[in-house]
Amino acid sequence: MAADELLVLVAGGDQRAFEDLYSLVSGPVYGLVRRVVRDPAQSEEVAQEVLLELWRSAARFDPRRGSALSWILTLAHRRAVDRVRSARAAGEREQREALRAGEPAFDQVAEEVEAGLEREWVRRCLKRLTALQRQSVTLAYYDGYTYREVAERLSLPLGTVKTRMRDGLTRLRECLGGAA
Amino acid sequence: MSILGRLLHREDLHSLAAPYALDALEPGERRRFDKHLQDCDRCTAEVRDLSEDAVRLAWSAAAPAPSALRDRVLAAVRSTPQERVPARERTPQLPPHVWGAQPPPGRARTPRARRPLFAPLATATATAALVVASLVAVQANRTQDRLDAEHARAREIAHVLAASDARASTSEDARGRSIGVIASASNGEAVVTLSGYGTPSGGRVHQLWLMRPHAQPRSLGLLAGDTPLIAKGLGKSSSSLAVTIEPDGGSAQPTSQPIVQLTLKSVGFGE
Repeated sequence: MAADELLVLVAGGDQRAFEDLYSLVSGPVYGLVRRVVRDPAQSEEVAQEVLLELWRSAARFDPRRGSALSWILTLAHRRAVDRVRSARAAGEREQREALRAGEPAFDQVAEEVEAGLEREWVRRCLKRLTALQRQSVTLAYYDGYTYREVAERLSLPLGTVKTRMRDGLTRLRECLGGAA
Repeated sequence: MSILGRLLHREDLHSLAAPYALDALEPGERRRFDKHLQDCDRCTAEVRDLSEDAVRLAWSAAAPAPSALRDRVLAAVRSTPQERVPARERTPQLPPHVWGAQPPPGRARTPRARRPLFAPLATATATAALVVASLVAVQANRTQDRLDAEHARAREIAHVLAASDARASTSEDARGRSIGVIASASNGEAVVTLSGYGTPSGGRVHQLWLMRPHAQPRSLGLLAGDTPLIAKGLGKSSSSLAVTIEPDGGSAQPTSQPIVQLTLKSVGFGE
């Protein structure tokens, strides 16, 4: 059963459907959170919050506005980014970040995460972007930087970063179009 | 602000769609853009597309979750109550297209005047969630066969609800009795519930009919109390639903005047 249907059942309090939904989305949710948050213990904590929020807020899901998976992963990403930003604000990670400055993150974590077909496609497509498009997209999405921070890191004007992000995502869509 | 200034400001806001989809705005900007989205169909459409792209990036990061996480989450679920949020009270904390605070692109044309008949799916989901919940709740003291049958039914209902064009409509009379339908015109499926009509006396039954132009009413089955009925194979031309009181076992054609009738136009039928 698809996540969309499961989510509707979950909204009705069906715990069995939630277990099915968990099997379906826990990997993507945890993997994404881990990619952004990095710290394993904190990642687990954020992933737990997100998965529990799916249970609590399933009734908010509206299929007309997009797929369940998109809704779920958008939620997970938002929570992960919130966490990484508050940690950053607390200065915990400054040291490690300095080392990573300007590096696209996707190469570094590559070994940590499970290889899959979709993953391969995304990697391949990311490589097809220009360096600035790729860095703008990945620094924001995988590392949780705001576009202002991205501009600072890449020493680019704000307008350029916004454009690179949009072009990067659009090009990714074109490249992934045949891989769905 | 001058007209040019306003245009520039607007253009500036448009350019935030990609950072917004990547969650790369600062909280203040995010709020400003959320507000802007409410009256910018173009941005809503763009954000929706860009967010789908961003989600592809998420998929590629999938990694097996620790097994202890599963135990903790499932345990927490057993003791965590669920939200019942009416559509109107939602606070958009996530992209509006995700929370449903925004009309999806291309659907903004739904005439306002039809609002009373047209319940946004969010409401439909909440209504049907209750329906599904009641189905699940009664499972405790049923045999395995019944349980499986009811679970299968709950899944069928979920299937109707998950259709991208699923819509809901209800009609309530002065005495608070109501008939509700959640339907997907593209799948030709509907879930129908009757509420407050009780059980007819003398062993008679409530029978549900599909009314079509230039055709005899077609029986969709018998309604047992408040239990939802799943109807399939509804043609695009279907015009309304009607309930009559019939002798035990039902009739081939209605033998009495409908006690209640509901048009299907607002849920996408009636071409």
